[in-house]
Amino acid sequence: MSGGARRLAWAGLLVVTAALLVFGSVRDSGPLTQQDRIDAITKRVACPTCDGESVYVSRAAAAQAIRAEVARQVGDGLSTDDEIVAYIADRFGGQVLLVPRGSGIDALVWVLPVVVAVALVAALASSFRRGAVATGARSRRAQLVVTVAVVVVVGVGGGVLVARQAGQRLPLQTATGGIDDSTASLLAQARLAGPTDVKSAIELYARVLETDPDNVEALTYRAWLIMLSARQFDESLRQQAYASTITALGRAIELEPGYPDAMCFLGIVVYRDGGDAKSAKEFLDRCLERNPPNEVRGMVESLAAEAAAEVGG
Amino acid sequence: MRTSRVAVLATGVVFAALVAVFVVSDGDTDVGARSPLLGAPAPAVVTSTVDDAPFDLARRKGSWVVLNFFNSTCVPCIAEHPSLVDFVADEAGRADRAEFYTVVNDDSDEAINGFFAAKGGDWPKLRDTDGAVAVAFGVAKVPETWIIDPNGFVRLRIIGAVNDGVLEAQMARLRAGDQ
Repeated sequence: MSGGARRLAWAGLLVVTAALLVFGSVRDSGPLTQQDRIDAITKRVACPTCDGESVYVSRAAAAQAIRAEVARQVGDGLSTDDEIVAYIADRFGGQVLLVPRGSGIDALVWVLPVVVAVALVAALASSFRRGAVATGARSRRAQLVVTVAVVVVVGVGGGVLVARQAGQRLPLQTATGGIDDSTASLLAQARLAGPTDVKSAIELYARVLETDPDNVEALTYRAWLIMLSARQFDESLRQQAYASTITALGRAIELEPGYPDAMCFLGIVVYRDGGDAKSAKEFLDRCLERNPPNEVRGMVESLAAEAAAEVGG
Repeated sequence: MRTSRVAVLATGVVFAALVAVFVVSDGDTDVGARSPLLGAPAPAVVTSTVDDAPFDLARRKGSWVVLNFFNSTCVPCIAEHPSLVDFVADEAGRADRAEFYTVVNDDSDEAINGFFAAKGGDWPKLRDTDGAVAVAFGVAKVPETWIIDPNGFVRLRIIGAVNDGVLEAQMARLRAGDQ
Protein backbone atom coordinates (compact mmCIF):
# COMPACT_ATOMS: atom_id res chain seq x y z
CA MET A 1 0.00 0.00 0.00
CA SER A 2 1.36 3.45 -0.86
CA GLY A 3 2.02 6.07 1.77
CA GLY A 4 -0.97 8.10 0.60
CA ALA A 5 -3.36 5.16 0.85
CA ARG A 6 -2.06 4.29 4.30
CA ARG A 7 -2.60 7.84 5.45
CA LEU A 8 -6.10 7.77 3.99
CA ALA A 9 -6.93 4.53 5.82
CA TRP A 10 -5.66 5.91 9.13
CA ALA A 11 -7.57 9.13 8.60
CA GLY A 12 -10.73 7.13 7.90
CA LEU A 13 -10.28 5.09 11.05
CA LEU A 14 -9.74 8.22 13.10
CA VAL A 15 -12.88 9.86 11.71
CA VAL A 16 -15.00 6.78 12.42
CA THR A 17 -13.63 6.42 15.96
CA ALA A 18 -14.10 10.11 16.71
CA ALA A 19 -17.65 10.05 15.38
CA LEU A 20 -18.53 7.05 17.54
CA LEU A 21 -17.03 8.59 20.65
CA VAL A 22 -18.91 11.86 20.08
CA PHE A 23 -22.14 9.94 19.48
CA GLY A 24 -21.67 7.92 22.64
CA SER A 25 -20.88 10.91 24.79
CA VAL A 26 -23.81 13.04 23.65
CA ARG A 27 -26.44 10.33 24.14
CA ASP A 28 -29.34 11.45 26.32
CA SER A 29 -28.53 10.65 29.91
CA GLY A 30 -32.18 9.87 30.68
CA PRO A 31 -35.35 11.46 31.88
CA LEU A 32 -35.77 12.98 35.31
CA THR A 33 -39.28 12.31 36.60
CA GLN A 34 -41.20 9.05 36.71
CA GLN A 35 -43.58 10.29 34.01
CA ASP A 36 -40.58 11.24 31.86
CA ARG A 37 -39.25 7.72 32.32
CA ILE A 38 -42.61 6.18 31.41
CA ASP A 39 -42.83 8.36 28.30
CA ALA A 40 -39.25 7.61 27.27
CA ILE A 41 -39.70 3.86 27.70
CA THR A 42 -43.03 3.69 25.90
CA LYS A 43 -41.55 5.64 22.99
CA ARG A 44 -39.00 2.85 22.57
CA VAL A 45 -41.65 0.13 22.33
CA ALA A 46 -44.00 -0.51 19.42
CA CYS A 47 -47.65 -1.30 19.98
CA PRO A 48 -47.83 -5.05 19.24
CA THR A 49 -51.25 -4.87 17.61
CA CYS A 50 -50.95 -1.74 15.47
CA ASP A 51 -48.86 -0.68 12.51
CA GLY A 52 -46.15 1.90 13.02
CA GLU A 53 -47.31 3.28 16.37
CA SER A 54 -45.39 3.35 19.57
CA VAL A 55 -46.97 2.34 22.85
CA TYR A 56 -46.61 6.01 23.78
CA VAL A 57 -49.08 7.20 21.14
CA SER A 58 -51.28 4.14 20.65
CA ARG A 59 -54.66 3.79 22.31
CA ALA A 60 -55.00 0.07 21.56
CA ALA A 61 -55.78 -2.21 24.50
CA ALA A 62 -52.44 -4.03 24.26
CA ALA A 63 -50.56 -0.71 24.24
CA GLN A 64 -52.50 0.50 27.26
CA ALA A 65 -51.68 -2.73 29.09
CA ILE A 66 -47.98 -2.31 28.30
CA ARG A 67 -48.11 1.34 29.39
CA ALA A 68 -49.69 0.27 32.68
CA GLU A 69 -46.99 -2.37 33.17
CA VAL A 70 -44.25 0.17 32.44
CA ALA A 71 -45.82 2.61 34.91
CA ARG A 72 -46.02 -0.16 37.52
CA GLN A 73 -42.39 -1.15 37.10
CA VAL A 74 -41.21 2.47 37.08
CA GLY A 75 -43.28 3.05 40.23
CA ASP A 76 -41.70 0.01 41.89
CA GLY A 77 -38.32 1.59 41.27
CA LEU A 78 -36.58 -1.78 41.04
CA SER A 79 -35.77 -1.85 37.32
CA THR A 80 -33.80 0.38 35.00
CA ASP A 81 -35.33 1.62 31.75
CA ASP A 82 -33.37 -0.96 29.80
CA GLU A 83 -34.56 -3.74 32.09
CA ILE A 84 -38.17 -2.69 31.63
CA VAL A 85 -37.78 -2.56 27.85
CA ALA A 86 -36.09 -5.96 28.04
CA TYR A 87 -39.03 -7.35 30.01
CA ILE A 88 -41.48 -6.14 27.36
CA ALA A 89 -39.29 -7.41 24.50
CA ASP A 90 -38.84 -10.72 26.27
CA ARG A 91 -42.58 -11.21 26.46
CA PHE A 92 -43.69 -9.83 23.08
CA GLY A 93 -40.56 -10.50 21.01
CA GLY A 94 -37.88 -8.26 19.54
CA GLN A 95 -40.29 -6.91 16.90
CA VAL A 96 -41.75 -4.52 19.48
CA LEU A 97 -38.42 -2.74 19.83
CA LEU A 98 -38.55 0.51 17.83
CA VAL A 99 -34.78 0.76 18.15
CA PRO A 100 -33.39 -2.65 17.17
CA ARG A 101 -31.11 -4.50 19.53
CA GLY A 102 -27.36 -4.14 19.21
CA SER A 103 -26.85 -7.90 19.41
CA GLY A 104 -27.84 -11.05 17.57
CA ILE A 105 -29.48 -10.96 14.15
CA ASP A 106 -30.96 -7.53 14.94
CA ALA A 107 -27.44 -6.09 15.00
CA LEU A 108 -27.26 -6.56 11.22
CA VAL A 109 -29.47 -3.49 10.96
CA TRP A 110 -26.59 -1.49 12.38
CA VAL A 111 -23.65 -3.42 11.00
CA LEU A 112 -24.62 -3.78 7.34
CA PRO A 113 -24.98 -0.06 6.49
CA VAL A 114 -21.53 0.62 7.94
CA VAL A 115 -20.05 -2.30 6.02
CA VAL A 116 -21.66 -1.08 2.81
CA ALA A 117 -20.56 2.50 3.39
CA VAL A 118 -16.96 1.48 4.05
CA ALA A 119 -16.99 -0.82 1.01
CA LEU A 120 -18.26 1.98 -1.20
CA VAL A 121 -15.62 4.42 0.04
CA ALA A 122 -12.92 1.81 -0.46
CA ALA A 123 -14.16 0.98 -3.95
CA LEU A 124 -14.23 4.66 -4.84
CA ALA A 125 -10.70 5.21 -3.52
CA SER A 126 -9.48 2.14 -5.33
CA SER A 127 -10.95 3.20 -8.66
CA PHE A 128 -9.45 6.66 -8.33
CA ARG A 129 -6.06 5.14 -7.63
CA ARG A 130 -6.34 2.71 -10.55
CA GLY A 131 -6.95 5.61 -12.83
CA ALA A 132 -4.00 7.53 -11.43
CA VAL A 133 -1.39 4.80 -11.07
CA ALA A 134 -0.61 2.05 -13.51
CA THR A 135 0.73 -1.01 -11.73
CA GLY A 136 1.40 -4.64 -12.49
CA ALA A 137 -1.23 -7.43 -12.27
CA ARG A 138 0.35 -9.02 -9.17
CA SER A 139 0.50 -5.68 -7.43
CA ARG A 140 -3.15 -4.97 -8.29
CA ARG A 141 -4.20 -8.36 -6.85
CA ALA A 142 -2.30 -7.70 -3.64
CA GLN A 143 -3.85 -4.27 -3.45
CA LEU A 144 -7.31 -5.79 -3.92
CA VAL A 145 -6.74 -8.30 -1.12
CA VAL A 146 -5.53 -5.60 1.25
CA THR A 147 -8.46 -3.37 0.35
CA VAL A 148 -10.97 -6.16 0.96
CA ALA A 149 -9.33 -7.01 4.29
CA VAL A 150 -9.41 -3.36 5.39
CA VAL A 151 -13.05 -3.05 4.30
CA VAL A 152 -14.04 -6.15 6.27
CA VAL A 153 -12.15 -5.18 9.42
CA VAL A 154 -13.14 -1.52 9.44
CA GLY A 155 -16.67 -2.13 8.22
CA VAL A 156 -17.56 -4.94 10.60
CA GLY A 157 -15.67 -3.40 13.50
CA GLY A 158 -17.30 -0.03 12.96
CA GLY A 159 -20.67 -1.66 12.49
CA VAL A 160 -20.39 -3.56 15.74
CA LEU A 161 -19.37 -0.40 17.57
CA VAL A 162 -22.34 1.46 16.10
CA ALA A 163 -24.65 -1.41 17.04
CA ARG A 164 -23.40 -1.34 20.61
CA GLN A 165 -23.82 2.39 20.86
CA ALA A 166 -27.08 2.85 19.02
CA GLY A 167 -28.84 -0.50 19.52
CA GLN A 168 -31.07 -1.33 22.47
CA ARG A 169 -28.93 -2.52 25.33
CA LEU A 170 -31.06 -5.03 27.16
CA PRO A 171 -29.53 -6.41 30.33
CA LEU A 172 -31.83 -9.41 30.68
CA GLN A 173 -30.67 -10.75 27.35
CA THR A 174 -27.15 -11.41 28.53
CA ALA A 175 -25.92 -14.95 28.55
CA THR A 176 -25.89 -15.00 32.32
CA GLY A 177 -29.49 -13.84 32.56
CA GLY A 178 -31.07 -11.97 35.41
CA ILE A 179 -33.58 -14.32 36.92
CA ASP A 180 -31.61 -17.49 37.60
CA ASP A 181 -31.45 -16.87 41.31
CA SER A 182 -34.85 -15.27 41.70
CA THR A 183 -37.25 -16.67 44.25
CA ALA A 184 -39.50 -17.97 41.48
CA SER A 185 -36.60 -19.76 39.85
CA LEU A 186 -35.39 -21.30 43.12
CA LEU A 187 -38.90 -22.45 43.95
CA ALA A 188 -39.22 -23.96 40.48
CA GLN A 189 -35.89 -25.78 40.83
CA ALA A 190 -36.88 -27.05 44.27
CA ARG A 191 -40.17 -28.27 42.89
CA LEU A 192 -38.38 -30.19 40.14
CA ALA A 193 -35.83 -31.67 42.54
CA GLY A 194 -38.43 -32.53 45.18
CA PRO A 195 -39.55 -36.04 44.29
CA THR A 196 -36.14 -37.51 43.52
CA ASP A 197 -33.58 -35.34 45.28
CA VAL A 198 -35.12 -34.34 48.59
CA LYS A 199 -31.87 -33.04 50.05
CA SER A 200 -31.33 -30.58 47.20
CA ALA A 201 -34.97 -29.51 47.34
CA ILE A 202 -34.71 -28.79 51.07
CA GLU A 203 -31.55 -26.75 50.44
CA LEU A 204 -33.22 -24.77 47.66
CA TYR A 205 -36.23 -23.98 49.86
CA ALA A 206 -33.80 -22.93 52.60
CA ARG A 207 -32.11 -20.54 50.15
CA VAL A 208 -35.49 -18.98 49.41
CA LEU A 209 -36.14 -18.55 53.13
CA GLU A 210 -32.77 -16.84 53.60
CA THR A 211 -33.94 -13.94 51.45
CA ASP A 212 -37.66 -14.26 52.07
CA PRO A 213 -38.27 -15.81 55.52
CA ASP A 214 -42.05 -15.51 55.09
CA ASN A 215 -42.27 -17.33 51.78
CA VAL A 216 -45.24 -19.58 52.38
CA GLU A 217 -44.45 -22.13 49.69
CA ALA A 218 -40.86 -22.58 50.87
CA LEU A 219 -41.92 -22.80 54.52
CA THR A 220 -44.54 -25.41 53.70
CA TYR A 221 -42.59 -27.64 51.35
CA ARG A 222 -39.33 -27.50 53.29
CA ALA A 223 -41.18 -28.60 56.42
CA TRP A 224 -43.04 -31.32 54.52
CA LEU A 225 -39.87 -32.74 52.95
CA ILE A 226 -38.01 -32.66 56.26
CA MET A 227 -40.80 -34.67 57.86
CA LEU A 228 -40.83 -37.17 55.01
CA SER A 229 -37.05 -37.61 55.29
CA ALA A 230 -37.13 -37.97 59.07
CA ARG A 231 -39.46 -40.95 58.90
CA GLN A 232 -36.49 -43.18 58.12
CA PHE A 233 -34.56 -42.09 61.22
CA ASP A 234 -34.91 -42.89 64.94
CA GLU A 235 -37.66 -41.72 67.25
CA SER A 236 -35.83 -38.74 68.73
CA LEU A 237 -35.00 -37.31 65.29
CA ARG A 238 -38.56 -37.91 64.15
CA GLN A 239 -39.84 -36.04 67.21
CA GLN A 240 -37.56 -33.11 66.47
CA ALA A 241 -38.65 -33.06 62.85
CA TYR A 242 -42.30 -33.34 63.88
CA ALA A 243 -42.02 -30.35 66.21
CA SER A 244 -40.24 -28.18 63.64
CA THR A 245 -42.66 -29.22 60.88
CA ILE A 246 -45.72 -28.33 62.94
CA THR A 247 -44.17 -24.97 63.79
CA ALA A 248 -43.30 -24.19 60.16
CA LEU A 249 -46.68 -25.28 58.80
CA GLY A 250 -48.41 -23.28 61.54
CA ARG A 251 -46.37 -20.26 60.53
CA ALA A 252 -47.30 -20.75 56.87
CA ILE A 253 -51.00 -20.99 57.75
CA GLU A 254 -50.71 -17.90 59.93
CA LEU A 255 -49.13 -16.00 57.04
CA GLU A 256 -51.62 -17.21 54.44
CA PRO A 257 -54.70 -18.87 55.94
CA GLY A 258 -56.13 -19.70 52.53
CA TYR A 259 -53.08 -21.68 51.32
CA PRO A 260 -54.38 -25.23 50.97
CA ASP A 261 -51.07 -27.11 50.82
CA ALA A 262 -49.93 -26.06 54.32
CA MET A 263 -53.27 -27.08 55.83
CA CYS A 264 -53.24 -30.39 53.94
CA PHE A 265 -49.69 -31.28 55.01
CA LEU A 266 -50.54 -30.31 58.59
CA GLY A 267 -53.43 -32.76 58.52
CA ILE A 268 -51.30 -35.53 57.04
CA VAL A 269 -48.44 -35.03 59.51
CA VAL A 270 -50.71 -34.76 62.52
CA TYR A 271 -52.41 -38.00 61.51
CA ARG A 272 -49.48 -40.08 60.26
CA ASP A 273 -46.76 -38.85 62.60
CA GLY A 274 -48.71 -37.45 65.54
CA GLY A 275 -51.42 -40.11 65.64
CA ASP A 276 -54.11 -37.51 66.39
CA ALA A 277 -57.03 -38.51 64.14
CA LYS A 278 -59.46 -35.95 65.54
CA SER A 279 -57.24 -32.91 64.90
CA ALA A 280 -56.09 -34.40 61.62
CA LYS A 281 -59.67 -34.74 60.37
CA GLU A 282 -60.31 -31.11 61.17
CA PHE A 283 -57.21 -29.98 59.29
CA LEU A 284 -57.92 -32.28 56.34
CA ASP A 285 -61.50 -31.04 56.04
CA ARG A 286 -60.22 -27.45 56.05
CA CYS A 287 -57.66 -28.42 53.45
CA LEU A 288 -60.34 -29.79 51.10
CA GLU A 289 -62.46 -26.68 51.64
CA ARG A 290 -59.50 -24.66 50.31
CA ASN A 291 -59.51 -26.46 46.94
CA PRO A 292 -56.02 -27.98 46.99
CA PRO A 293 -54.22 -28.71 43.70
CA ASN A 294 -54.75 -32.20 42.34
CA GLU A 295 -51.45 -33.69 43.50
CA VAL A 296 -52.19 -32.73 47.10
CA ARG A 297 -55.89 -33.56 46.85
CA GLY A 298 -54.93 -37.07 45.77
CA MET A 299 -52.94 -37.53 48.99
CA VAL A 300 -55.63 -36.10 51.24
CA GLU A 301 -58.99 -37.49 50.17
CA SER A 302 -58.43 -41.09 51.20
CA LEU A 303 -56.65 -40.02 54.38
CA ALA A 304 -59.53 -37.74 55.34
CA ALA A 305 -61.94 -40.68 54.98
CA GLU A 306 -59.59 -42.85 57.04
CA ALA A 307 -59.35 -40.27 59.82
CA ALA A 308 -63.11 -39.74 59.76
CA ALA A 309 -63.69 -43.49 60.15
CA GLU A 310 -61.25 -43.60 63.08
CA VAL A 311 -62.87 -40.65 64.81
CA GLY A 312 -66.31 -42.08 64.19
CA GLY A 313 -65.21 -45.45 65.59
CA MET B 1 -15.57 -8.44 -16.35
CA ARG B 2 -14.25 -7.99 -12.85
CA THR B 3 -17.43 -6.09 -11.95
CA SER B 4 -19.60 -9.01 -13.01
CA ARG B 5 -17.47 -11.46 -10.95
CA VAL B 6 -17.83 -9.22 -7.91
CA ALA B 7 -21.59 -8.96 -8.47
CA VAL B 8 -21.89 -12.76 -8.68
CA LEU B 9 -19.77 -13.15 -5.56
CA ALA B 10 -21.82 -10.56 -3.65
CA THR B 11 -25.07 -12.24 -4.69
CA GLY B 12 -23.71 -15.58 -3.53
CA VAL B 13 -22.68 -14.16 -0.17
CA VAL B 14 -26.09 -12.58 0.37
CA PHE B 15 -27.84 -15.80 -0.64
CA ALA B 16 -25.64 -17.86 1.71
CA ALA B 17 -26.36 -15.42 4.54
CA LEU B 18 -30.09 -15.75 3.93
CA VAL B 19 -29.87 -19.54 3.93
CA ALA B 20 -27.91 -19.39 7.19
CA VAL B 21 -30.57 -17.18 8.77
CA PHE B 22 -33.32 -19.57 7.71
CA VAL B 23 -31.37 -22.56 8.98
CA VAL B 24 -30.71 -21.12 12.44
CA SER B 25 -34.21 -19.66 12.86
CA ASP B 26 -36.67 -21.60 15.00
CA GLY B 27 -39.80 -22.51 13.15
CA ASP B 28 -43.15 -22.69 14.87
CA THR B 29 -44.55 -26.14 15.50
CA ASP B 30 -47.91 -27.09 14.08
CA VAL B 31 -49.83 -26.06 17.17
CA GLY B 32 -47.53 -24.46 19.72
CA ALA B 33 -46.23 -20.96 19.25
CA ARG B 34 -42.88 -19.63 20.37
CA SER B 35 -42.38 -17.77 23.61
CA PRO B 36 -39.35 -17.19 25.81
CA LEU B 37 -41.56 -18.36 28.67
CA LEU B 38 -41.73 -21.92 27.36
CA GLY B 39 -39.85 -24.15 29.78
CA ALA B 40 -39.57 -21.34 32.32
CA PRO B 41 -41.49 -20.78 35.55
CA ALA B 42 -44.84 -19.18 34.81
CA PRO B 43 -45.14 -15.47 35.53
CA ALA B 44 -46.83 -14.48 38.76
CA VAL B 45 -50.59 -14.16 38.42
CA VAL B 46 -52.29 -12.77 41.48
CA THR B 47 -55.78 -11.52 40.81
CA SER B 48 -59.43 -12.29 41.54
CA THR B 49 -62.20 -14.02 39.68
CA VAL B 50 -65.22 -12.16 38.40
CA ASP B 51 -66.97 -13.74 41.39
CA ASP B 52 -64.45 -11.96 43.66
CA ALA B 53 -62.63 -15.12 44.76
CA PRO B 54 -58.87 -14.63 45.14
CA PHE B 55 -56.56 -16.37 42.68
CA ASP B 56 -52.82 -16.96 42.83
CA LEU B 57 -51.29 -19.07 40.07
CA ALA B 58 -48.35 -20.02 42.32
CA ARG B 59 -50.85 -21.74 44.61
CA ARG B 60 -52.06 -24.03 41.84
CA LYS B 61 -48.75 -25.93 41.64
CA GLY B 62 -49.62 -29.58 41.76
CA SER B 63 -52.25 -29.22 39.03
CA TRP B 64 -52.03 -28.76 35.30
CA VAL B 65 -53.35 -25.27 34.61
CA VAL B 66 -54.80 -24.01 31.33
CA LEU B 67 -55.16 -20.25 30.90
CA ASN B 68 -57.35 -19.04 28.05
CA PHE B 69 -57.14 -15.32 27.26
CA PHE B 70 -60.57 -14.23 26.15
CA ASN B 71 -62.79 -11.34 25.16
CA SER B 72 -66.53 -11.81 24.72
CA THR B 73 -66.62 -9.75 21.50
CA CYS B 74 -63.73 -11.51 19.77
CA VAL B 75 -64.95 -13.75 16.96
CA PRO B 76 -62.27 -16.49 17.23
CA CYS B 77 -62.91 -16.62 21.00
CA ILE B 78 -66.58 -17.24 20.37
CA ALA B 79 -65.73 -19.79 17.69
CA GLU B 80 -63.44 -21.84 19.93
CA HIS B 81 -65.77 -21.78 22.92
CA PRO B 82 -67.54 -25.10 22.23
CA SER B 83 -64.14 -26.83 21.96
CA LEU B 84 -63.16 -25.43 25.35
CA VAL B 85 -66.42 -26.58 26.92
CA ASP B 86 -65.79 -30.08 25.56
CA PHE B 87 -62.21 -30.06 26.82
CA VAL B 88 -63.23 -29.08 30.35
CA ALA B 89 -65.97 -31.73 30.36
CA ASP B 90 -63.44 -34.38 29.31
CA GLU B 91 -60.97 -33.32 31.96
CA ALA B 92 -63.56 -33.36 34.74
CA GLY B 93 -63.46 -37.15 34.87
CA ARG B 94 -59.71 -37.37 35.43
CA ALA B 95 -57.94 -37.57 38.80
CA ASP B 96 -55.22 -35.27 37.41
CA ARG B 97 -57.69 -33.05 35.63
CA ALA B 98 -56.34 -29.78 34.30
CA GLU B 99 -57.71 -26.67 35.95
CA PHE B 100 -59.13 -24.35 33.31
CA TYR B 101 -59.28 -20.58 33.72
CA THR B 102 -60.46 -17.80 31.44
CA VAL B 103 -58.35 -14.65 31.65
CA VAL B 104 -60.61 -11.73 30.82
CA ASN B 105 -58.92 -9.42 28.34
CA ASP B 106 -60.21 -5.86 28.08
CA ASP B 107 -63.79 -6.80 28.91
CA SER B 108 -66.31 -6.13 31.68
CA ASP B 109 -67.54 -8.53 34.36
CA GLU B 110 -71.10 -8.04 33.07
CA ALA B 111 -70.20 -8.96 29.51
CA ILE B 112 -68.28 -12.01 30.69
CA ASN B 113 -71.07 -13.20 32.97
CA GLY B 114 -73.60 -12.66 30.18
CA PHE B 115 -71.52 -14.60 27.66
CA PHE B 116 -70.93 -17.60 29.90
CA ALA B 117 -74.54 -17.64 31.07
CA ALA B 118 -75.60 -17.91 27.44
CA LYS B 119 -72.85 -20.18 26.07
CA GLY B 120 -71.94 -22.32 29.08
CA GLY B 121 -68.57 -22.82 30.71
CA ASP B 122 -68.63 -23.24 34.46
CA TRP B 123 -65.02 -22.47 35.24
CA PRO B 124 -63.35 -19.53 36.99
CA LYS B 125 -62.88 -16.31 35.03
CA LEU B 126 -59.91 -14.23 36.12
CA ARG B 127 -59.87 -10.46 36.03
CA ASP B 128 -56.98 -8.73 34.29
CA THR B 129 -58.15 -5.19 34.80
CA ASP B 130 -54.98 -3.36 33.78
CA GLY B 131 -53.67 -6.02 31.41
CA ALA B 132 -50.80 -7.06 33.69
CA VAL B 133 -51.44 -10.78 33.14
CA ALA B 134 -51.59 -10.34 29.37
CA VAL B 135 -48.32 -8.40 29.38
CA ALA B 136 -46.65 -10.94 31.66
CA PHE B 137 -47.46 -13.67 29.13
CA GLY B 138 -46.87 -11.45 26.09
CA VAL B 139 -50.45 -11.73 24.88
CA ALA B 140 -51.27 -8.98 22.40
CA LYS B 141 -54.37 -10.44 20.79
CA VAL B 142 -56.94 -12.93 21.98
CA PRO B 143 -57.60 -15.79 22.00
CA GLU B 144 -54.45 -17.37 23.33
CA THR B 145 -54.20 -20.51 25.38
CA TRP B 146 -51.33 -21.46 27.69
CA ILE B 147 -50.64 -24.71 29.50
CA ILE B 148 -48.66 -24.75 32.73
CA ASP B 149 -47.47 -28.00 34.27
CA PRO B 150 -47.89 -29.10 37.91
CA ASN B 151 -44.39 -27.80 38.73
CA GLY B 152 -45.39 -24.33 37.59
CA PHE B 153 -43.48 -24.38 34.29
CA VAL B 154 -44.96 -23.01 31.07
CA ARG B 155 -45.27 -25.88 28.60
CA LEU B 156 -47.36 -24.71 25.65
CA ARG B 157 -48.64 -21.57 23.99
CA ILE B 158 -51.37 -21.66 21.37
CA ILE B 159 -52.06 -18.44 19.48
CA GLY B 160 -55.53 -18.12 17.97
CA ALA B 161 -58.58 -20.30 18.27
CA VAL B 162 -58.15 -23.95 19.21
CA ASN B 163 -59.99 -26.47 17.12
CA ASP B 164 -61.86 -29.51 18.40
CA GLY B 165 -59.57 -32.05 20.03
CA VAL B 166 -56.41 -29.91 19.91
CA LEU B 167 -56.22 -29.22 23.64
CA GLU B 168 -57.02 -32.85 24.44
CA ALA B 169 -54.21 -34.03 22.15
CA GLN B 170 -51.74 -31.49 23.53
CA MET B 171 -52.56 -32.38 27.13
CA ALA B 172 -52.11 -36.08 26.35
CA ARG B 173 -48.74 -35.32 24.76
CA LEU B 174 -47.60 -33.23 27.70
CA ARG B 175 -48.79 -35.76 30.27
CA ALA B 176 -46.83 -38.41 28.43
CA GLY B 177 -43.74 -36.31 28.97
CA ASP B 178 -43.22 -35.08 25.42
CA GLN B 179 -41.73 -31.61 25.07
